[in-house]
Amino acid sequence: MHDKGITTAAVCVYPARVCDAVRALKAAGCDIPVASVATGFPAAQTHLKTRLEEIRLAVEDGATEIDVVINRTLVLTGQWKALYDEIRQFRKACGEAHLKTILATGELGSLTNVYKASMIAMMAGSDFIKTSTGKETVNATFPVAIVMLRAIRDFFWKTGNKVGFKPAGGIRSAKDSLVWLSLIKEELGDEWMKPELFRIGASTLLADIERQIYHHVTGRYAAYHDLPMS
Amino acid sequence: MAATRTASRACEIFTTLEYGPAPESHACALAWLDTQDRHLGHYVNGQWLKPEHRSSVPCQDPITGENLASCLQAQSEDVAAAVEAARASLENWSTQPGAIRAQHLTRLAKAIQKHQRLLWTLESLVTGRAVREVRDRDVPLAQQLLQYHAVQAHTQEEALAGWEPMGVIGLILSPTFPFLDMMWRICPALAVGCTVVVLVPPASPTPLLLAQLAGELGPFPGILNVISGPASLGPVLAAQPGVQKVAFCGAIKGGLRLLIQEAVWDETMRRLQERMGRLRCGHGLDGAVDMGARGAAARDLAQRYVSEAQSQGAQVFQAGSEPSDSPFFLPTLVSDLPPASPCTQAEVPWPLVVASPFRTAKEALAVANGTPRGGSASVWSERLGQALELAYGLQVGTVWINAHGLRDPAVPTGGCKESGSSWHGGQDGLYEYLRPSGTPAWIPCLSKTLNYDAFGLAPPSTLPAGPETGPAPPYGLFVGGRFQAPGARSSRPIRDSQGSLQGYVAEGGAKDIRGAVEAAHQAAPGWMSQSPAARAALLWALAAALQRREPNLVSRLERHGVELKVAKAEVELSVKRLRAWGARVQAQGCALQVAELRGPVLRLREPLGVLAIVCPDEWPLLAFVSLLAPALAHGNTVVLVPSGACPIPALEVCQEMATLLPAGLVNVVTGDRDHLTRCLALHQDIQALWYFGSAQGSQFVEWASAGNLKPVWVNRGCPRAWDQEAEGAGPELERRAARTKALWLPMGD
Repeated sequence: MHDKGITTAAVCVYPARVCDAVRALKAAGCDIPVASVATGFPAAQTHLKTRLEEIRLAVEDGATEIDVVINRTLVLTGQWKALYDEIRQFRKACGEAHLKTILATGELGSLTNVYKASMIAMMAGSDFIKTSTGKETVNATFPVAIVMLRAIRDFFWKTGNKVGFKPAGGIRSAKDSLVWLSLIKEELGDEWMKPELFRIGASTLLADIERQIYHHVTGRYAAYHDLPMS
Repeated sequence: MAATRTASRACEIFTTLEYGPAPESHACALAWLDTQDRHLGHYVNGQWLKPEHRSSVPCQDPITGENLASCLQAQSEDVAAAVEAARASLENWSTQPGAIRAQHLTRLAKAIQKHQRLLWTLESLVTGRAVREVRDRDVPLAQQLLQYHAVQAHTQEEALAGWEPMGVIGLILSPTFPFLDMMWRICPALAVGCTVVVLVPPASPTPLLLAQLAGELGPFPGILNVISGPASLGPVLAAQPGVQKVAFCGAIKGGLRLLIQEAVWDETMRRLQERMGRLRCGHGLDGAVDMGARGAAARDLAQRYVSEAQSQGAQVFQAGSEPSDSPFFLPTLVSDLPPASPCTQAEVPWPLVVASPFRTAKEALAVANGTPRGGSASVWSERLGQALELAYGLQVGTVWINAHGLRDPAVPTGGCKESGSSWHGGQDGLYEYLRPSGTPAWIPCLSKTLNYDAFGLAPPSTLPAGPETGPAPPYGLFVGGRFQAPGARSSRPIRDSQGSLQGYVAEGGAKDIRGAVEAAHQAAPGWMSQSPAARAALLWALAAALQRREPNLVSRLERHGVELKVAKAEVELSVKRLRAWGARVQAQGCALQVAELRGPVLRLREPLGVLAIVCPDEWPLLAFVSLLAPALAHGNTVVLVPSGACPIPALEVCQEMATLLPAGLVNVVTGDRDHLTRCLALHQDIQALWYFGSAQGSQFVEWASAGNLKPVWVNRGCPRAWDQEAEGAGPELERRAARTKALWLPMGD
């Protein structure tokens, strides 16, 4: 399995750290893309002008993936057209960079709003829709995930475009990640089960996956200190 | 080393991303079967019973066909032994304080918890159902049932003060799901103090395991006895002296009928087919499987239905295909079935779904209510008002809104029409095994000489018997709001207590019954939609009218031989009863709060429809009124046959009803009682029948009413003390005059 190219899909950092991250990965001879959060992460409560400038700067610095946070005020007041226009602008500012739109579902109030926001984000050109920033009190839960996955499926049936899905926040164990994998498989099918269309946003998860692999290979449970810090 | 071999397997999975099997070992189930040497008997009085010289039936795995064990087939002596054991333990069990029974049920729930793996493994292995379903739904539900009913037993002394346990209960189970069906019924029966004998179809080990768990608790060994045997032993069980009631659960086919509004037809079908493509069939004990198999018989049934549907012009969709010798039948979607085809009326077998389109909610209701089944339904809509309208209009026992298949021990489950009239769960389920305190136990006195084909067939002809003395009673059959001549165009004489002729009343027959039932059906929608206040006002108006007629009614009763004082009291009490029921007219039922579900479950009380009542000869006026009033109060329309010896007071009341009540609300037909009873009992469009007459008549009514499974209430020839509150106006009347509907409203946005 060591030649299967198993790595994390990206490294996600704040905009100010993009330069350092790019340099460090280059020095290590690693071609994993650097993703940057933008648009006033995590609360997205800054002026539109600065939010767009953040995206442009991050792209200039070398980020090839951008994670934006939608303006929750527009969702809560039902200004769907305005939301669409904003995300279109983010899309334009990203240029060739891959756009992930974070809905911050914990703050949207109802599953109906989650569905609508998902559709708007996809219509506006997102490559991925993401459940949360990881900083809300409620992050990626299964009911929210099902709503978003159904929105992705509906969008695919209507337009033929496949949009990816990323849950983030609260996913800590390998067992959890298996549940997420089977959820994607059930709702969207095998085509979505690849890094181009499905990612999990987590940090401690990596260590747990490594421990499971360790156990599978050696038959023993590893301690956290047996493995490199992540 | 192990690593390299498993590494290549991991490689494959990494590419194909398929589910691996998650097999549950069935070792524990086999080990349990081994403790019985793979030869199961019956479980009676806390011990295994293996009588000699009995044939046995193999218990096979429905998917692999492997022989798991052999099960003894009982014979009549075994049934008798089981009933004897139940009878012996009845006195002890029913006189225990409720708290002790509660404790015992809780201990049984704990025993299930401790052995749940064995229970779900055995059930999944033997029935072929997906283990996930049994493990995550059935076994926890069984524990919850015991827990809920333990609470009911605990509070029984106060909450159910006027009621006592019936006695020994016989239970006949269907070949599908015997385990859970059994739990739904034995829990309320045991909780209120009855003891149980269960007849399970052969090759059902799980109920036997449960009986063993119950028996091994120690005290009260004979309260749960399980016999496995053929369905032909059912009548034997019912005829055993001591068995007070037999609860019967027929086979449920398990398929679904889906009604989809045309506007969303395409979308829905697409999503259905997509989802069907993802369902996995496999061995029940594989945790990664969505559905198993239910054996060759179920498979053939499904195949036959599909072939017939296709021949009638339907489209059939299956995601994938199975070879013809496979034990599995894939989930199948049948659509475009013409509404008039026989398949639309037939019960849909598992695992089929028959989809039909509709345009308006009214059309959907007509289609949904147009079958003889009345079990459960779910309504899916984002518009609450529309969903509720459909929920209220569906003629079923349970409606879920935006959910399906939810069950809770506190919510009554039952049905109407041909889904039967008994309930399990909730308070309704408890009353199935209770009778009012002081009612004598039922002694089987089935007359073997009763000729069902001849009972009441040809009424004896009536001849003129001399001149009428005294004021002539109102003449005719009171149907459709006015007095009409009988179809037979003849009359029968009514004699007073001296033997002289009091008058003639019309001789009603089959045609008149038919007309009366039709008139009642016509009046039903209007009456059902009346507000409780309007119904109350009408009953009070009738009470006032009766009061004005008092001298008239008293003299009629006196001529019948009733003492003046008693006659006056009878009239007064009748008036009082009308007023009391008017006051009691129920608004729609109360809301339950179900523990795990977020959202209310409403327990609605709905009218039965057309209620037929054959009034007793004792208390001719009072009984007539005592039966009429609750029936009307709960929104039913009525067809009555008054007392045979003294129908005239009833006819006097009809004269008042002609001016006060809407036409067809109450219909009164006089004539030969046996003949009229026959017509009513055989009529398939009467929703319930109350018979207070002879023992033979009661037997006939019960037999004939099985035609449309209408609920019946018979007196078996025993007179009733109508003047006593408990018997004349008690909670039993209230319970029987309406039916329940459970309406589930889960919350969420």
